[in-house]
Amino acid sequence: MEKMSRVSTALGGGGGGAVSGRTMFCHLDAPANAISVCRDASQVVVAGRNIFKIYALEDERFVEKLNLRVGRKPSLNFSCADVMWHQMEENLLATAATNGAVVTWNLGKPSRNKQDQLFTEHKRTVNKVCFHPSEVYMLLSGSQDGFMKCFDLRKKESASTFSGQSESVRDVQFSMKEYFTFAASFENGNVQLWDIRRPDRYERMFTAHNGPVFCCDWHPDDRGWLATGGRDKMVKVWDMSTTRAKEIHCVQTIASVARVKWRPERKWHLATCSMMVDHNIYVWDVRRPFIPFATFEEHKDVTTGIAWRHQHDPYFLLSGSKDSTLYQHMFKDASRPVDKANPEGLCFGLFGDLAFAAKESLISSEANRKPYPGGDRRYPIFFFKKPDLTEQFAHVSSALSVFETGLESGRMDWFSQTARLYLLSGKPFAELCDHNAKVAKELNRPQVSTTWTMVRIMFSDPANPNLSLSAKLGALPLMNSFSMKDMGACPDMGACPDMGACPADRGKEGRSDAAHLEPGTSHISNNDDNEETEGSDGQAEYMFGEAELDDDDLYSVEHDNPAEDQEYTLPQEAFPLRHEILDNPSAPEPLQQDKAESPHVSGGEAEATCLTPIESCSLISATLPLYSAHLPAGFFCPVVRDMLHYYAEQGDVQMAVSVLIVLGERIRKEIDDLTQEHWYTSYIDLLQRFELWNVSNEVIKLSTCGAISCLNQTSTTLHVNCSNCKRPMSNRGWVCDRCHQCASVCAVCHHVVKGLFVWCQGCSHGGHLEHMMHWLKSSPHCPAGCGHLCEYT
Amino acid sequence: MVSVINTVDTSHEDMIHDAQMDYYGTRLATCSSDRTVKIFDVRNGGQILVADLRGHEGPVWQVAWAHPMYGNILASCSYDRKVIVWKEENGSWDKMYEYTGHESSVNSVCWGPYDFGLILACGSSDGAISLLTFTGEQQWDVKKISNAHTIGCNAVSWAPAVVPGSLVDQPSGQKPNYVKRFVSGGCDNLVKLWKEEDGQWKEDQKLEAHSDWVRDVGWAPSIGLPTSTIASCSQDGRVFIWTCEDPTGNTWTPKLLHKFADVVWHVSWSITGNILAVSGGDNKVTLWKESMDGQWACISDVSKGQGAVSSITDTQQSEQ
Repeated sequence: MEKMSRVSTALGGGGGGAVSGRTMFCHLDAPANAISVCRDASQVVVAGRNIFKIYALEDERFVEKLNLRVGRKPSLNFSCADVMWHQMEENLLATAATNGAVVTWNLGKPSRNKQDQLFTEHKRTVNKVCFHPSEVYMLLSGSQDGFMKCFDLRKKESASTFSGQSESVRDVQFSMKEYFTFAASFENGNVQLWDIRRPDRYERMFTAHNGPVFCCDWHPDDRGWLATGGRDKMVKVWDMSTTRAKEIHCVQTIASVARVKWRPERKWHLATCSMMVDHNIYVWDVRRPFIPFATFEEHKDVTTGIAWRHQHDPYFLLSGSKDSTLYQHMFKDASRPVDKANPEGLCFGLFGDLAFAAKESLISSEANRKPYPGGDRRYPIFFFKKPDLTEQFAHVSSALSVFETGLESGRMDWFSQTARLYLLSGKPFAELCDHNAKVAKELNRPQVSTTWTMVRIMFSDPANPNLSLSAKLGALPLMNSFSMKDMGACPDMGACPDMGACPADRGKEGRSDAAHLEPGTSHISNNDDNEETEGSDGQAEYMFGEAELDDDDLYSVEHDNPAEDQEYTLPQEAFPLRHEILDNPSAPEPLQQDKAESPHVSGGEAEATCLTPIESCSLISATLPLYSAHLPAGFFCPVVRDMLHYYAEQGDVQMAVSVLIVLGERIRKEIDDLTQEHWYTSYIDLLQRFELWNVSNEVIKLSTCGAISCLNQTSTTLHVNCSNCKRPMSNRGWVCDRCHQCASVCAVCHHVVKGLFVWCQGCSHGGHLEHMMHWLKSSPHCPAGCGHLCEYT
Repeated sequence: MVSVINTVDTSHEDMIHDAQMDYYGTRLATCSSDRTVKIFDVRNGGQILVADLRGHEGPVWQVAWAHPMYGNILASCSYDRKVIVWKEENGSWDKMYEYTGHESSVNSVCWGPYDFGLILACGSSDGAISLLTFTGEQQWDVKKISNAHTIGCNAVSWAPAVVPGSLVDQPSGQKPNYVKRFVSGGCDNLVKLWKEEDGQWKEDQKLEAHSDWVRDVGWAPSIGLPTSTIASCSQDGRVFIWTCEDPTGNTWTPKLLHKFADVVWHVSWSITGNILAVSGGDNKVTLWKESMDGQWACISDVSKGQGAVSSITDTQQSEQ
C-alpha cells in the first residue's frame, strides 16, 4: 500500500488549475448509480451496475480516460451501488458492491485490473462507502444488512463493526470537523451519531423522517449542521451542536429525496435529487423552503448521483442518471423557478375594487422596522452594505391590498343602487321615466338621467295632463332650452306623487332600503336647491354629455328624414337645442338648413344671445298638437336603438335593459331578438352576481323575450302526484294521464283550484289554501276522506 | 383617485402569486409559494381567514373560483404538477379532486362559464392544456391538448358563453348548443384560441404579436358587447387588445394598448368588461378604458403605495 502514496497517477494528472467549462454531457453505456469527483476536480468516476469508468473533465467535453470494468465476465464486485474518490489520495477509489463487497481501487497499479482490496464482510448490498476526510486509510461502509464497518486499508479486514440495531443503513458520512464522529441514516427513519472509537453503542439517535432516510450530508463549514433527506419528500437540516438534535430548516420537495449535497461556499444552499418520479436536480436555499433556488432539468430519467465538481467552487455540478448520461451543469444555465414565478396577483372585484398582491422584499421592510445591524441610518447611503443577493432570494413576502378605484365608471355601487331603485313597471310610462331619471340623478349619473328624460319626451303622449308641458313652458318664458325646462320640471313633478310612492315601492321589493331612503330623499332636495341657485350651468353639462352621446345618431336621423324635418318642428327643436349648448362653432349641414327654415334655433350661443323667448314659447305650443298628430310612433326608434346599443357597449347593460322594459312594445321591434336576449341574460347574470334576486326576478318577469321569461319555469321542478290515483304525474299540466281526472281539485269544495293550491305530500290530496286551513282547524284528517293524518308544514 | 380600502394581512410565508375574488365579491382566495391557499372573507372591508388549504407540495401559482351554482369550489394549480379542486361542504374545505396528469409545473387554471357545466382548463409548463370536466359522482373527464404551446403554457382564459344562432327556437328545458372556446398564452410568444368541435379541442386561431413569453391572457366578459375582446400581456412589456367583430370569429385584429418598461404580469377585466387593469413588473397597476374613438387610455394608476418597496430591492436577484 505504501507505494500508492504520492506517485503520479496512471492517468497523468489532469488540469488541477482553476475550474472552467460549460454545460455539457456525455452518453454512458449503462445507467449510473453514483459518481464521485477527484480532489482537483479534473476527473469524475461513474459507477453503476454495469459501468465503472473514469472521465476527464475538459473544457468542452467529457473524455473517457479509463474503464475499470475489466475481464470478459466481470465479477459482481464490479456492480457498484456507490463509489467514492479519496479526497486526499488521488489514486484511491472505493466502491460499494451490490453483492455486499467493499472494494478499493488503486489507479496507480500498472495492471489493467486496478482492484486493490476486497472486503466481503457485509451480507447484503452495501449502500454507501465513505473515506475519512483527513485520515488516509480509514474507510467506512454502510449496508443493507444493518451494519456499518470501519476499515483500515492497511489491514485485510474491518477494524470495527457498528450495529445500528436498526434496519438497513442507507448512508454513512464522516463529520467534516469532528474527527471521530460519523452519522448514519437508516431505513426506519432514524439517524445515529457514532464515535469511531466506540463501536459498542451510538452516541446519539433521533428520528429524522417518516420512512427511510436515504441520505445525509454534513455542512462543509458549519460543524453542527447535518442535512438529511427521506422518502417523506423532506430535506431537514439539523443542528447537532446542542444536546438534542434540533430541526432548524425543513424543505419539502415533490418527490422522495435520494441525495443531498451542500453547495460549496454557500452557507444556505444544498442540492437534492430524487429516486423516482422527478428527474430534476434542485438547489434549495434552506431559508426559503418553498421554491427551489435553481433547477437543472436536463435528465430524462432519475438522477442517481450528484457531486459538486470542486469543494470550493459553487458553479459546477456533476450528475449521473439512469438515462445513461453524465452531465456537467453550469449554475448560470440553471433554470430559476422564481424568475418565472409570477410575483403579482391582480383581480378585479365585483364592486370595481381591485385586489393586488405584490412582492415586497423583506430587506426593505426590515429596514423600515429596525436599523441595519451595526449600521446607523445617519450614515450616508453609500455606507450601506450592498444587500447580499442570496438574502434577496431568501426573504420574500408579498403585500396584498384591496383598492378602491374611485372611478365612477369603475365602481359598481351605482349598479346595485340603480337596480333597486329603478321602477320598471306598474306606473304610467312618463312617471317611470321621471322616477328613473331622478334615481340616476340622485346617483350622480347625469347622462343617464337626461337619457331617461329624453326617452320620456320622445315617447310620451303630450295630451297626458301629468306632463302639462305647455303650461310649464308658458310659465318659464326665459327657458329657451327644452330639456332644461324638463330637468326643472321633473323634480317638481316627482316631488309630489313619487315621493309618497317611493317607500311603498321599495317596501314591495322586500329590501331594507329604508336607511337609504332618508339620505336619498334629502339628497334629491339638495339637488333641487342646487339647480335653483346654480341654474343652467349644471344642466348645460348634462346636455353636453347627452350631445356627445347622440350627436352622430341625430345627424343621421336628420339625414334620413329631410322631408319630415321641414314639416315637423318639434324634432328640430329637440335637436338643435342640444347643439346650442354644445356650442359647436362649425355647425354641420343639417343645422344650417334649420337655420334657414326656423331662425329661432339658430341662436346657438344659448342664453347670452337670448332668442326672443316669446317666439320660442309660442312655437312650442304651436307644435304640440302636431306632435301626436303627425309624428309616427316609431320616429325616434332609430335614435333610441342606437342609444341603447351605445349604453350596452359602454358596459351599462342595465340602462339598455331598463329602457327596453320601460319602453316595451314601443321599441322592441327595433332591436333584434338575439341582441335583446343577450342584454337580458347579461343583466340577469349581473343582478344575480350582486345578489339582487328580486330585481332579477322582476326583470325576468317583465322581459318580452321568450327565452328569458321561461327562465323562471326551468329552474324549479315540481313533482306532483295525482290526487285521484296517487301516481306521479308524468306530463305537464294538471290532468293525470292515467285516470284522466283533473288532479287539482279541491278536496273541500270539489272545484278546480286556480291560484294557490296546497296539498299533503303524504296522501296527495289538497285544495284551496284557505279551505284547507279552515278544514284542518277542525280535523286532523284529510278532507278527501282517505283517512290520512295530513301534515302541512 | 385611488385609495386603499383594505390591506389584507395574509400571513403567507412567501410570495403571493395570485389573488382572486369570488363571484359575489365576498371572498378572496390567495395562493403563495409557501404551498398554501388561503381564503379570506372580505365583506365590509374585513379580512377574516376562512380557510387555509394545504395539499400542494410546491408553490401554488394560481387559483380560480367556480360559478356558485356548483357550490363553493376553488381550483388551484402548483409547481408540484398538480391541480387540486377544493370544495366547501358544511363549512369545511376539502379536496374534491386531484389531477396529476401534467409532467411539469401547472401555471394556470380557469373555470369555464357556468353554461358549460363544471369545466376547468389547466395550462402547464409541459406545453399541454388539460380540460377537466365534472361528469358527476366524483367522476372527471380529462381531455388533453398536447403541445399546445412549445416550452410551456402560462395562462388560460375562457370565452363567455355565446350561442350560435338564436336561442328563441330552442325547445325549453333543453341545453342550448354552446360553442366552447378559450384562449391561452405561452412561452412560444403566441396567443392561441381553442374551440371544441364534436367533443374534440382544436386550435382555432394563432395570434402573433408578442416578442417574448405571453404572461397572461384575459377574455373580456361580454356584457352587451357585440364584439369579442381579448387582452394579452407579455414579458416584452406589451399589452395587446385583440378584437373580433366578425361573427365567424376568424379575423382578430391586435391593438397595442401600451408598451411598458417592464414585464407585464397580469391583465384583469372589470365585471362589465369596459375597464382593463394591468399590473407590471414595477409593482404598479394601471387602469385602461377605451375611448369613443377606439383608443385605449390610462384612466388611473395605482402605485402600491405601501412605502415598503424600495427600488434597489426590486431588481431580480442574479446570484449564482
